[in-house]
Amino acid sequence: MTLFLRILLLVTSVLLVLLVLLHRAKGGGLSSLFGGGMQSSLAGSSVAEKNLDRVTLFVIALWVISIVGTGLLIKLNG
Amino acid sequence: MLGALRSALVTPDLRRKILFTLGIIVLYRLGAMLPSPGVSYPNVQQCVEQTRNDSESIYSLLNLFSGGALLQLSVLSLGIMPYITASIIVQLLQVVIPRFEQLKKEGQSGQATLTQYTRYLTIALALLQATGITALAVRGQLFPGCTTEVIPDNSVLNLVVIVVTMTAGAALLMWMGELITERGVGNGMSLLIFTSIAARIPSQGASILNGQGGLVFAVVCVFGLAIITSVVFVEQAQRRIPVQYAKRMIGRRMYGGTSTYLPLKVNQAGIIPVIFASSLLYLPQLLGQLAGNQNTWWARFIQTYIVDPSSWVHILLYMAMIIFFAYFYVSITFNPEERADEMKKFGGFIPGIRPGRPTAEYLSFVLSRITLPGALYLGIIAVLPSFFLGLTGGGQGGMQSFMFGGTAILIMVNVGLDTVKQVESQLTQRNYEGFLR
Repeated sequence: MTLFLRILLLVTSVLLVLLVLLHRAKGGGLSSLFGGGMQSSLAGSSVAEKNLDRVTLFVIALWVISIVGTGLLIKLNG
Repeated sequence: MLGALRSALVTPDLRRKILFTLGIIVLYRLGAMLPSPGVSYPNVQQCVEQTRNDSESIYSLLNLFSGGALLQLSVLSLGIMPYITASIIVQLLQVVIPRFEQLKKEGQSGQATLTQYTRYLTIALALLQATGITALAVRGQLFPGCTTEVIPDNSVLNLVVIVVTMTAGAALLMWMGELITERGVGNGMSLLIFTSIAARIPSQGASILNGQGGLVFAVVCVFGLAIITSVVFVEQAQRRIPVQYAKRMIGRRMYGGTSTYLPLKVNQAGIIPVIFASSLLYLPQLLGQLAGNQNTWWARFIQTYIVDPSSWVHILLYMAMIIFFAYFYVSITFNPEERADEMKKFGGFIPGIRPGRPTAEYLSFVLSRITLPGALYLGIIAVLPSFFLGLTGGGQGGMQSFMFGGTAILIMVNVGLDTVKQVESQLTQRNYEGFLR
């Protein structure tokens, strides 16, 4: 069970990184950090972006569950 | 002030944005408390307790930016630091690599590509840092002098799981920051930094109150307020260079003919010089820690002169680096020739100065003169805690005065001002009276 959860955690982590990188880059990096004053563009999010959001949220939920699960199992066993 | 707050909450659009931002911040704080799988939470707590008074810890800056999550080895323990480092690197590379410079000139789409590069670099750096921290924790160097095992099960699989989880946590945090920027109020990344710094203030204040008594606490509070006031004052200061636009006819319409001004902020570079300088000053310390052996002459030299924040070498070095980076950063973000060209293109000129090269020379002259007080101010604010340290007798006061005196307050006030300005601009769109008069 622990092994399964760990593998799930590994897979979801890698997926999460990839999904976040798939999102369109927003903001202007450091120049908009700390008051660079760059206004955000007014472009709305597309359908693809919305679906990506949904998938990302699902993966995040799985990720959190497997973290908490692994932690609990280790605590119960140890 | 309170009326403005009310109208901000009554506006449905703005209320949704503010609530969204608060929700993300709450999620961030929850994640910062969640320990990584395989890390023994009670053991970590014990070690943190043991090494709490160790003010010379090399991780105090990193820990500051992650809101105390780093030393707890939590899921979000890397915090926003990989993103900051990545943006600094990309920013610096714009000077070195021609392709990056070209991208920067391309405007919006080039900027988006640069941001995408920053994101890739963030993941790479996060992976590196996660590996480093996990290795330090396994070898027992994260908490010097603490013998309890932080990670009881150090099989390869477990360590890999921890590293990958932390990396994913950094990616998640980056996404959360971007979500705030897109759908919330203010800039997400800086708001997350703000949150993690603000989260540590109560505990630091309490430890001053318990450790050094009420009088010192009151003095520190008054001093902190004074610094906040002065930071706001200098942050808002700007020189307005008048610019006159010529009238022109395009078709049947009349354009231009207005007189406006070009604002030059006293502290154009913001807090970036302070972050650069402090990150660089921590490097020799980190090297010394990794080398382990404390008895070579250079280790002792680093220990007495560079690490100790109350030594004059440290203070002077810090100050000099801040001034250097202030000029450096202003020179790469503000290009007088570009500005002068733009003004010429749209028929603008500064009264008394010919357009083109003389304007560029004038602008760079004014800018380099106005940056000097800005740089000195940054340096003084950042160095103040070291004087504090001398006053309160050194020892464990280091970290606390660090919190109340320098980098932390600068960052918090900057972010706060920026966010309030954004809320204000949203309010004035609807003709409400804002926060700032």
